[in-house]
Amino acid sequence: MANLHLNALGKTYPGGVTAASDVSAEIGDGEFIVLVGPSGCGKSTILRMIAGLESITAGELTIDGARVNDLEPGERDIAMVFQNYALYPHMTVRKNMEYGLRNEGLPKDQIAARIAEAARTLRLEEYLDRKPRQLSGGQRQRVAMGRAIVRKPKVFLFDEPLSNLDAKLRTQLRAELKTLHQRLGATFVYVTHDQVEAMSLADRIIIMNAGRVEQIGTPMDLYLRPASRFVAEFIGSPSMNMLEGRIGADRSSLTFDHAPAIGFGFELPAPAGHPIALGIRPEHLELTPGGAGGIDLAVQFIEQLGADTVVHGAVPGSAMPLAVRLAGVQLHEAGAVLPLTCAAENLHLFDAKTGRRLAAV
Amino acid sequence: MVENRPILNFLTHAVLILGVLFLCFPVWMALTASTHAPEALSKSPIPLWFGTQAWKNYSQLLTAGLPEAGGVPIGRMMLNSLVMALGITFGKIAVSILAAYAIVYFRFPFRMGFFWMIFVTLMLPVEVRILPTFDVVTKLGLLNSYGGLIVPLIASATATFLFRQFFLTIPDELVEAARIDRAGPVRFFIDILLPLSRTNIAALFIILFIYGWNQYLWPLLATTDEGLYTVVMGIQRMVNAGEQLPVWNYIMGTAVLALIPPVVVVVAMQKLFVKGLVESEK
Repeated sequence: MANLHLNALGKTYPGGVTAASDVSAEIGDGEFIVLVGPSGCGKSTILRMIAGLESITAGELTIDGARVNDLEPGERDIAMVFQNYALYPHMTVRKNMEYGLRNEGLPKDQIAARIAEAARTLRLEEYLDRKPRQLSGGQRQRVAMGRAIVRKPKVFLFDEPLSNLDAKLRTQLRAELKTLHQRLGATFVYVTHDQVEAMSLADRIIIMNAGRVEQIGTPMDLYLRPASRFVAEFIGSPSMNMLEGRIGADRSSLTFDHAPAIGFGFELPAPAGHPIALGIRPEHLELTPGGAGGIDLAVQFIEQLGADTVVHGAVPGSAMPLAVRLAGVQLHEAGAVLPLTCAAENLHLFDAKTGRRLAAV
Repeated sequence: MVENRPILNFLTHAVLILGVLFLCFPVWMALTASTHAPEALSKSPIPLWFGTQAWKNYSQLLTAGLPEAGGVPIGRMMLNSLVMALGITFGKIAVSILAAYAIVYFRFPFRMGFFWMIFVTLMLPVEVRILPTFDVVTKLGLLNSYGGLIVPLIASATATFLFRQFFLTIPDELVEAARIDRAGPVRFFIDILLPLSRTNIAALFIILFIYGWNQYLWPLLATTDEGLYTVVMGIQRMVNAGEQLPVWNYIMGTAVLALIPPVVVVVAMQKLFVKGLVESEK
């Protein structure tokens, strides 16, 4: 259990490729932190730098106040769970879990006690004498977690641990992970590219893009107040609609090239003519019964999901795609035009050039 | 494809059986010839069934050897061959697995240079470098010793290359997991790499043991002391034993005896080898 302090961490490979730069974060004791982002965004690099598997070329990493930049992975008091399990194939489950403890020189009876406890927690008791190849994917990943738990490390690191499992097992193990975190009360750092995993597991999310931190916050921070267009589009499914236009002469409307302007009842925080992107989540758009809404949607196709219906289309007269999520089962013909509205507090405005959020909406 | 045509079945089996007979015939001849008196083999027809001299021939070979060929008992030659073959096998495996470990897992200057140096020696078999090797061994004073028989044949580019290729298939995550589990380089090698290489070692053991056992040219050059003669040399000397007629019963007996250790190794190791293949990891 520990605090983790990432101070302007950076990684530049000898060839000159920069995988991550200026990554700073303060991770509290017992926190469940999820690093999320598209592939190649540097999230795994950060995790591997915390683990000590990748050298740190810039900045400083401290665990409980002690600088660990130059420590070997084994000396950092961390444990890691890998995407492909990385179990020792020639050792039994018990031996796999024992290995790190034996190398630490822990007495035999303590090793046995820790393994018994971990096996009970993870329901692996009957598999202790099997080899990894005799286990299913989910069981193997539980063994990998067991190998981490018995070490009683300060920090648990997870590198996309559920990506190799099928959807149902993933949901199940996700719940187990959450329970495990609550039971252990340890600091977890978890890497995933799956925003649903990030949202459901994290106390706080660090969302990364192109080697930089886009935003750090609770899942609801990221959902309700995304700091940038990238975050807005990454979090949420289907992803947020983005309507690109310019601020009208009256500074309280958005004008488009090929579509009617959208009027707001308030003043926008940027000069007239400024190019902006208006973000609206599909679930925040509502049908306006019988009247003219703020935005029209020309239906192209619908997705029936049972609990709700996602209608895909475009703003009439333009190529701007638009999707709306409506509750329950709804039927709309292709070509129909739906009048929609959205509450003012659910509108997100981003600078079209920098992608940053425009303040005070 | 499952076919059931009686004629085709018969034909394929006939071909197979014929092939087996063809391959086994020389071995059979050696085996039967080694049980006859020398006179029986000097006139036609050559007998194709066991004679009555088996006990006499083999006890002569094992205890006294052939006076015409130096009188070294075959047992002694077999022992020499065994020491040489095992020495070469273990030496080659140990050296090449360590060399491959260094090349794959450690970053040091000119790493690839060393790899290519080892690789290039693949193109230089013993026969090509035999004179310089002889010179070196002479200067080291290793002539007429087990060391002289074994050491020059130990370096193996083939085995190093094989282990390198195998190590490259071991996922990086396994190495990283071991690092997190506080396994240093030696621990990792002994606890993880060696057990995983088990099947490769078994396969190499078979190949290298036979390679070592069948060495002829090098032992011929490196030994003049009859107490260090290997069995392959012994056979050759019996065939060319001066003026006399070759004593075929003894020669065939020696050949049969010389067959036994490689066969034992193949049979014993093949079990492990096949087991390893079946158990191999996904």
